[in-house]
Amino acid sequence: MQLTLEFGGGLELLCDSVKIHKVNVNPQDGEDKLNMKDLLAWVRTNLIKERPEMFMKGDSVRPGVLVLVNDCDWELSGQLDTTLEEKDVVVFISTLHGG
Amino acid sequence: MGGPGAGPECKIGPRPVAERNPPVAHGAARGGPGLKFVSLKICRECFYTVFEDEIHSVIVENQLFKPGERIAIGASGGKDSTVLAYVLSELNRRHNYGVDLFLLSVDEGITGYRDDSLETVKRNEVQYGLPLKVVSYKELYGWTMDEIVKIIGLKNNCTFCGVFRRQALDRGAALLKVDKLATGHNADDIAETVLLNILRGDIARLSRCTSITTGEDGPIPRCKPFKYTYEKEIVIYPFHWLPNLNQLFTYAYFKRLDYFSTECIYSPNAYRGFAREFIKDLERIRPRAILDIIKSGEDFRISTSTKMPEQGICERCGYISSQARLFRMPNCARKPASLKWCKACVLLEGLNRGLPKLGIGRSRGLNNDRKKDMKQSHGTENIGSKQCGTLDF
Amino acid sequence: MACSSGSCESGCYKDKNGEEDQQLEKKKAVNGVVKIGNDLNRTNLCIKCKSNQTIATTIPTTAGDASRFCSDCFRTNLFGKFRFAVTSNAMISPEDNVLVAFSGDTSSRVALQFVHEMQCKAQKNFDASRDRSLPVFGVGVAVVDESAIYPVPSHQLDEAIEDMKLIVSNLAPPRKEFHVASIASIYSSDFGDGMDTLKELVNTVSDLTGKEDLMLHLRMLSLQKIALQNGYTKLVLGTCTSRIACHVIATTVKSFFGSDLWFVRVCSVGSSGSTYLSLNKRLLFVQPISRTVTGSSRVDPSAPPICSSYQFVRPIELLDLSEGSLEVSLSKEGTSDCLIFSAVSDLVSSSYSEHISASCRLRTVKVFDNPRSGINGLVSAFIKVLQEENPSRECTIVRTAGKLTPFHFNRIPEGDDLNAHFASQRRQKKFNLMPNESLPPESFCSICNSPLNKSDLSSLSDVENGQLSAETFGATCCLSCQFQMLPKEPSSVEYFYSLLPQPIIARAKGGNRCNQRWLREQIQDCLLSDSEDGT
Repeated sequence: MQLTLEFGGGLELLCDSVKIHKVNVNPQDGEDKLNMKDLLAWVRTNLIKERPEMFMKGDSVRPGVLVLVNDCDWELSGQLDTTLEEKDVVVFISTLHGG
Repeated sequence: MGGPGAGPECKIGPRPVAERNPPVAHGAARGGPGLKFVSLKICRECFYTVFEDEIHSVIVENQLFKPGERIAIGASGGKDSTVLAYVLSELNRRHNYGVDLFLLSVDEGITGYRDDSLETVKRNEVQYGLPLKVVSYKELYGWTMDEIVKIIGLKNNCTFCGVFRRQALDRGAALLKVDKLATGHNADDIAETVLLNILRGDIARLSRCTSITTGEDGPIPRCKPFKYTYEKEIVIYPFHWLPNLNQLFTYAYFKRLDYFSTECIYSPNAYRGFAREFIKDLERIRPRAILDIIKSGEDFRISTSTKMPEQGICERCGYISSQARLFRMPNCARKPASLKWCKACVLLEGLNRGLPKLGIGRSRGLNNDRKKDMKQSHGTENIGSKQCGTLDF
Repeated sequence: MACSSGSCESGCYKDKNGEEDQQLEKKKAVNGVVKIGNDLNRTNLCIKCKSNQTIATTIPTTAGDASRFCSDCFRTNLFGKFRFAVTSNAMISPEDNVLVAFSGDTSSRVALQFVHEMQCKAQKNFDASRDRSLPVFGVGVAVVDESAIYPVPSHQLDEAIEDMKLIVSNLAPPRKEFHVASIASIYSSDFGDGMDTLKELVNTVSDLTGKEDLMLHLRMLSLQKIALQNGYTKLVLGTCTSRIACHVIATTVKSFFGSDLWFVRVCSVGSSGSTYLSLNKRLLFVQPISRTVTGSSRVDPSAPPICSSYQFVRPIELLDLSEGSLEVSLSKEGTSDCLIFSAVSDLVSSSYSEHISASCRLRTVKVFDNPRSGINGLVSAFIKVLQEENPSRECTIVRTAGKLTPFHFNRIPEGDDLNAHFASQRRQKKFNLMPNESLPPESFCSICNSPLNKSDLSSLSDVENGQLSAETFGATCCLSCQFQMLPKEPSSVEYFYSLLPQPIIARAKGGNRCNQRWLREQIQDCLLSDSEDGT
């Protein structure tokens, strides 16, 4: 599944200072859908190079990290249960720094 | 909730993009009985409208601006002040506030931090057509933060930075001859400050940190139009109107993200960090908790017998401190004991005389008990842990 | 020289000491003891008895008294502070019958122990005195069984209750009555029925934090019921600083747009250092239930007896009761938080409080191990982190709250109380610097009993003439309770209302009635000032 992931607000520093990642993530074995929970696990394993605690807390993002799925706050689409589709754009922005 | 389409679901937009937990009403219906926080799902266009309208109503209800006034916007290059500059210039035009807006930046002289964000501010100057004034520590005090850190190390540098910035903003505002200074403090910042003031027992600050306008008795009053605006919305806001703007800005925005992602390289950030995280945790459980904290801050009944800090005019630089307290020069044989200086002058004197510890509370030993601790936080301006990236109140 | 006394702070003193030190070091050096070892050894000795190791060396702890006292001296010190707080604020008078809320955990265990020791002393004095004029105050112990809500295997519960009973019966005479009551007993004498209704009630609250808070208020009601049914005049709680600090922050967070802050009441009493410390402790420890100590402003003489008996409890008492009842809830946090005394003394870290009860050979019991959740859980975690970063943080928080203006009912009543003992009254005078001003009576939330502010009141006035019903009940609650506990759907509100225990209903009714007059006056005032100002 082709996805575009964007990291901002400092989160890009955790993945080699690359802001935009075009990635290919597939649903786990036996699943036909990919949801945000799976994606977060995948990001943590494959993209985050350092200090994963700045990005994740438990199996969700750390509070203060904003998640937009196709420009829409993921709290509307069910947060971790949000189902992702081909060519979706997922944005992570940290609001924890500066002002 | 005053915006259009104020139903439980946005009826205008094709697709909701955000859920809002609006501060029901800032004035008119404030805290009225039966008013419930309603989570609104709203689409992008409505989000802008509601976001802007809400700030407009805050400005109107609190009479932040009067026609003909000159208003400086404290611009750090961060998300809050950038959005503030954009929104204020928008609203000024749309609602005919009749004010003249200026951007005011402080250059602390921190290589790799402020010099970059100043670039953002300079771009804002062009985009919004707002005149920019940059005041630097070097110009005002003869020292850059880099130089100060070289001398005093990383331990108390935030005290210098905070004290100097506060004064620098006032002086910059005086140079611009503005009537008021607007800062980009958002609801999260203020909630955080409320908590911090409880944590450090600073009653004086606790009593005033929630005021939307402060320092009215001082030279330059300051106001916080974003007082009721969630930080989250400030982040979402530019994200959404971004595509509508020209390429230059898009670039600037993404570039800007870099800046505030870069924490002040000198900032240590101990318990402010905890407070910040606590607030974000809270927001997840109950978003309105942020506004509730602010409300609590407003509701605190401060005992009248609590000693409030002394205010006045510094006998060295003549600076009328809006909030800063005056200090008797400590341990200084050559000066008469009654001489009262502002904190910035005390710190500066220390630097210039090679006694950088002057004016900084003595370092805390292991067995220091609370009593002394308390005394210290009352006697001195304790901004030690204020994050460098944000502007002090 | 005049400087020969140790108090001289000029150079001579230092020199003299320095000499001594040098001599001492010489001696030690001769004995082959290295200087560093010497210093280290010294800092680890108790500053009082100078013979035993400090507690800090035996268990890891952050700071405070642990680094200065050995366990015996610490205990003595702590007890001294406790006694001082109790006597100087006239918390317990000889005629009192005191009920200690007991969870089995450290804080309440230590509170029980200290109250017990005070009682023993009083007994000794009584036996020794010729005229036997001063009676010895009575002590009872109450346990609230919450298994209705937080299920525990029944054998475990029985065991725990047995253990607690044993703890109480093992205390030296005078004998202490031991009461166990189910939290469901607030409903009626019909046990099973209450249980189901209670479960239903708690289940209707969807907000996690609201649920927890509701439990806390219900727990309070059970404690009061036990106290009132068994003729107790005071309720003693083992609320510790951590708990209050949590409460301060939690209240700040929860206070609704428009709802007043409870915690302004918690500490708030004085502004000068000594006053608020001791007063704090008064508020934390003993909550007078009797009519005599109650500010009479809220009491409506015409109210039915059951209703008034609850009304007699001043809100501050209620608040503090609810605070301490956290101990009764046997929550996980409660077990590890520091002791009561920390409000006055240095803070005690979690490992430390366990140590005290251990070193004092106090047996503790843990039954319900429910971690706090929702906002309360977040706040506890937050306070814990802060405390680790700076061991005095909790104290500072409590102190901050202490600097706020108190509500009038939070002030210590002036000595118009005929039953108050003379000596204690004198002491009270000494420490009670706050004059009793005549302030308007405040209205209180039916559920949490926190004061309602003006915007709440305006809705309350709608209820004024009507009968209390499911629709109007909401208006008698603070906005915070409305938000956290009341169901959003009108139909569910009716159900919720039907499940409420009698005391809360009574409070809603009674509270309204006695506030009506003041309300009217308020409205009148507003009208007047408006027309006068012409604004």
